[in-house]
Amino acid sequence: MTSEWQGELLSELGRNLVQGSLTDPRLLQLTAGPVQRILPDANVVKIGGQSIIDRGGKAVFPLIEEIVANLPRHQIILGTGAGTRARHAYSVALDLGLPTGVMSVLGTFVSMQNARMIHYLLAKHGIPFIEPVQFPQLPLYLVERRAVVFFGMPPYTFWQENPAVGRIPPHRTDTGAYLVSEVFGARSMIFVKDEDGLYTADPKKDKHARFIPKITVDELRAMDLQDVVVERAVLDLMANAQLRRSVRVVNGLVPGNLTRALEGEDVGTLITAD
Amino acid sequence: MNESHPGDGRHHVDSLLMRESLIDKDVVAATHDGAPLVRMLPDARVLKIGGRSIIDRGRQALLPLVAAIGEALASRTLIIGTGGGVRTRHVFSVGLDLGLPTGVLAQLAIADALGNAHILGTLLAHHGVVAIPPEIFGHLLPFFVKGAPGVIFNGDPPYSIWEHPPPVGRIPPHRTDAGSYLTAECFGCKTFTLVKDVDGLYDADPKQSPSASFIGETSVAELRERALPSLPFDEILLDLLERSRLVKRFQIINGLKPELLAPALDGEHVGTIVHAG
Repeated sequence: MTSEWQGELLSELGRNLVQGSLTDPRLLQLTAGPVQRILPDANVVKIGGQSIIDRGGKAVFPLIEEIVANLPRHQIILGTGAGTRARHAYSVALDLGLPTGVMSVLGTFVSMQNARMIHYLLAKHGIPFIEPVQFPQLPLYLVERRAVVFFGMPPYTFWQENPAVGRIPPHRTDTGAYLVSEVFGARSMIFVKDEDGLYTADPKKDKHARFIPKITVDELRAMDLQDVVVERAVLDLMANAQLRRSVRVVNGLVPGNLTRALEGEDVGTLITAD
Repeated sequence: MNESHPGDGRHHVDSLLMRESLIDKDVVAATHDGAPLVRMLPDARVLKIGGRSIIDRGRQALLPLVAAIGEALASRTLIIGTGGGVRTRHVFSVGLDLGLPTGVLAQLAIADALGNAHILGTLLAHHGVVAIPPEIFGHLLPFFVKGAPGVIFNGDPPYSIWEHPPPVGRIPPHRTDAGSYLTAECFGCKTFTLVKDVDGLYDADPKQSPSASFIGETSVAELRERALPSLPFDEILLDLLERSRLVKRFQIINGLKPELLAPALDGEHVGTIVHAG
């Protein structure tokens, strides 16, 4: 029936897609083009698990206040990290020889706990927690309530790709939050962590680590750092991004940083694809 | 267990990975050689039935294959993924024309493969084999395959709007071949078979050049080196196979020759075998 397909096709591209191979680079080239920004006014903000939420009220309460204070001016899609309980679950899973896909399920549960806690702190402002199945309601909530909370893990579960090295799911909450900002063409992607941004080494372990205020993905890859402040998958995906070609990392322990980042000010580290 | 570590301010749970950066190269490398991986469903065989190549052809191609699947089910547990076929190509073309991003195209495509899963499920219903909704498929899979000789699912991985933007263009890279393979890999299944309308791999498209020569067996590295003009499977399968831990090869067979199905499911060489290394 394929070859006799006579349905209505919009274009030459449509004919090529129906008849051609999706591995043909010439055909794939034809599928490039301008992409709609679905939610151009929304900001995606990811709150770190180990870096922020595991610190409890001391770190979380001021951040919640700052988020609420920003709502009149900014729409915020809030994602959550997983943190120390995910590290515990991953450790147990490694010991038992559980596959990466199962570890991805476990990480999802922890980031969901964190999303629920952040959600209850914001509930009195009418802000909902949405699971992936509720994402079609997200635009309404943003317009009506200015923010939503979601769990940062991408919902890959058993279908998480294996990493090149080791067994820890390579696509975790930084990646899940970033992909939300990319698919919706969001205004910004802000990672809220407990360091001022990117350093040449982990500043918690190396006192000589040097701060990097601005860097491109290519430069960062060339440095081949031992540790990076965001998941490496985010950098790989940014290189191919159609819309969200920069991300910012700020220290959420410093009051005002998130506000400055939302205002587009130069705070923390800006990582760009170009 | 729950301790606050002085000078840190973060409440940690004691574990091997406590306080560690999961991005640090040494931490990641330390997780490489752990306990032997659990194979959740070592006796099950995963196959993916092509959408455009098989299901869209209608009864002429599908009914003989369904009969072969029915026979295979008598002595084997099958997990069957379906492709979306020509309807997916059509929705891609409309979505691209409207300027919709890759993640949205991936989300839209799920419906087509799901429709084909239900088409196949209708034909296999009398064996007790039906299409399982994607929302419960992964978690309940071990339960279903104990109660039924096989299950059918839409081959798509649940990436949806979280699909990765590809290096070129906007077509979602993780399609139904990739999703079906990842099912086999995560559940540690016995074999993974791609059922298409060609005998396997050729050094050129056999539909266009009759002199194309057949490749019976190859590897990811060899295929990367050959850089064939097109492949009869999702290109990202090469990356996924390269990183495989449990299912280190797959076979492409011609579903228009249904007699090849049972031997392929048992790992016999009847099409093109692609090895990880």
